[in-house]
Amino acid sequence: MAGRRVLITGVGSFFGGELARRLERDDEVEHIVGLDTRRPGARLERTELIHADIRDPKIAGLIAPTRVDTVVHNQIVRQPGPGMSPRTMHDINVIGSLQLLAACEKVDSIRTFVVRGSAGIYGAEPHAPQFFTEDMARLFPLRTRFQRDAGEIENYFETFARRHPGVTCTMLRYQPAIGAGVDTQISRYLTMPVVPTHLGFDPRLQVVHTSDAVDALAVAVRNPVRGPVNVAGPGTIGLTRMVRLAGRTTLPLVGPFFGPVTSAAKRVGLPVLSEDFGRLLRHGRAVDIRRLEEEVGFSPRFTTEMALEDWVQAPARAAA
Amino acid sequence: MVGVGPALGALRLVREGLRQGLDAPEALIRGASVLPRDTRRAVERAARRLDGDYREDEWGFDEEFADLVLPFLDFLYDRWWRVRTIGAGNVPGHGRALMVANHAGILPWDATMISMGLLREHPLPRYPRFLVLDWAFSLPWVSVAIRKVGGVAASPFNALRLLESDQLVAVFPEGVKGTGKPFRERYRLQRFGRGGFVELALRTGSPIVPVAVVGSEEIYPKLGESASLARAIGSPFFPLTPLFPWLGPAGVVPLPSRWLIEFCEPIPTVHHGPDAADDRSLVLELSEQVRDTIQAKLLENVVRRGPAFA
Repeated sequence: MAGRRVLITGVGSFFGGELARRLERDDEVEHIVGLDTRRPGARLERTELIHADIRDPKIAGLIAPTRVDTVVHNQIVRQPGPGMSPRTMHDINVIGSLQLLAACEKVDSIRTFVVRGSAGIYGAEPHAPQFFTEDMARLFPLRTRFQRDAGEIENYFETFARRHPGVTCTMLRYQPAIGAGVDTQISRYLTMPVVPTHLGFDPRLQVVHTSDAVDALAVAVRNPVRGPVNVAGPGTIGLTRMVRLAGRTTLPLVGPFFGPVTSAAKRVGLPVLSEDFGRLLRHGRAVDIRRLEEEVGFSPRFTTEMALEDWVQAPARAAA
Repeated sequence: MVGVGPALGALRLVREGLRQGLDAPEALIRGASVLPRDTRRAVERAARRLDGDYREDEWGFDEEFADLVLPFLDFLYDRWWRVRTIGAGNVPGHGRALMVANHAGILPWDATMISMGLLREHPLPRYPRFLVLDWAFSLPWVSVAIRKVGGVAASPFNALRLLESDQLVAVFPEGVKGTGKPFRERYRLQRFGRGGFVELALRTGSPIVPVAVVGSEEIYPKLGESASLARAIGSPFFPLTPLFPWLGPAGVVPLPSRWLIEFCEPIPTVHHGPDAADDRSLVLELSEQVRDTIQAKLLENVVRRGPAFA
C-alpha cells in the first residue's frame, strides 16, 4: 500500500501532531494533510497544513483537491478545556463530524476512515460488565450529553460506512489517556490540590498511555478494520490506588455534594469535572481490548498501571 | 495487645516524624519501630497501603486485604456459626470450575463461608470469585469491600471471562428470589433462572460443583417485607426480621445458627463441547440435575446438622 495520502483533522492537538510526525517518518505515506485552526505543537516537516474550522462547510472545497485516500478524524473533544464552553464542545463534536462527513461524501479517492472516538459511549454503570466489548455500546441508556454526542457521531459514521461499502471505517473507542507532558482529563484531575472522590466508592479505572494512543492510531491507519475497536492499556487500577501513587490527598464527598462542590471549584479556576467524568469516578469503566490486539494487530506497550507509574515518575526523570 | 506505654511512645515518634516533614506513611513506619513485632508488621503494612503500595487484579480482588479480614471470618466460621465442611476435595484444585450453591440470608455471608470452607479444608486452597447481586455495587463501601474479597457484578460476561482465565467461580442461580424468600420457605430451592450458569459451564468446558449450604437460611429469618421502604432506597426488597430494622445497625448482626456446607461430586461438561451451550434441552436438563442434587443434599443435611440453634 505505498503512496498513502492521509488527512488528519485536529492536527493542532497533541495526538494529531504526534500522529503526523509518526506518519512523516513512514516511507509508505506519500502525503499528509493537517486540518485545524490551531498551529501544531509538534515540529512538522512535510505536512501540508490547511487552516480551517472543521465546522465550516467550506472544508468540502478544501478537502476534495487533496485526493487523500485516508481520513483520520481526530477532533473529538472529551472535556471542554480552558475557555471552551460545553456548547462549543458539542458543536465541534457533532457539527464538526457532520461537516467532515459531508465534505468526504463526494471525495471518491477515500478508502479508509479512522476516528479517534471515545469509550465514554459505554458510560459508567454500577453493575455493568467489568469489561465492555465492542457490541455493548447500547447496553445502557446514553445518560450524559457527551455520551449522546458520542452516540450521534457513531451513528453518522455507521451511516457513512453503509452508504460507502468501499470505505473501511474504524471507530476507535479510547479510554482516557495519560502521559508525561500531555494535558489530559486524567492528568488535570490528578494534579488538583486535593482530588475530589465519591465517599465510599473505589471504582476500577482504565487508562491508555499517550504514546500507545498515538501508535494505535498509526496502526489503524495501516491496518483498518470495520466497526468499533476499544483502545486501552490492559488491566485496571482502583481510583484510591491511583491517587495514592500520584501522591495526592483525596477529598471524599457524599454523593449529592459532588456536583456542587466540583462546580464551585471551577469558579476558582480548578479543572472542570464533566458529568461524564463524575460518573466515571463513581462507577468506573474498563473495556476488553481483544479486537485491538487480534484484528488490528496492536498490543499496547503500557498496561494501565504502567501508564500511570510512568506519568508519576516523569517529573523526576525530567529533573535527572 | 499493645500496652499504653509503647502506644504513646509510637504516637510521639509519629508526631515528631511529621514535624520533621516526613510523609504520613514514613512517619507511621518510624513510630511503629517501638511497637511489638506483630503490631509493627500490621502498622507497616497499613502504611505501605497508604502509599498506594498494594496489588489488586483487574477485577479489584486484593489478596492482601482478603488476608487481613481472615481473622474475622475465622471467628465467624469457628465460633459464630461452627461451620462443618464436607467434600472440599470435590472442588478442582486448579483450572476453571463453576460452583453452584443455594442462596439465602439477604447479605452474601454464604459466599464468604464457602470461601472459608475451601481455604480451610481444601488441600490446594484458593480464593473463589463469586457473582454478587448487581444492586450491591451501587452501595458505598459495600461495593468496595465486595470487590476486594473477590466479588464481581452478576453478569454472564464477567463469569465467562473469569472462567476463561481459569478461575474458580461461585454462582447463586436463585438470585434475589433466594435471598428474599420468607423464613417458612427455608431450604426450598427457588427456580434456577433460565439455566444461564449451565450455558457458561458448557461454553467454557468447566465442571459444575453443586454446593449445599445449611445454616445460612436461619441467619436472618425474614418474616415480612416492606415494598414502600424498598422503593424508597431502590433495593430489590426490604426485609423485616425479628431484629431488623427494629434494632437499627445491630439488627444486621446475623443469628448464630449452626452450619454444614457440602461440596458435591463435580459434573463434567467438557465432553458436550462448547456448542452444546445453545442446546436448550441439555441446558435445562443439566440445570434441573444440579438443582435436584442440591435440594436432596439440603434436606439430608438439615437433618444431619440437627437443631439450628443448639
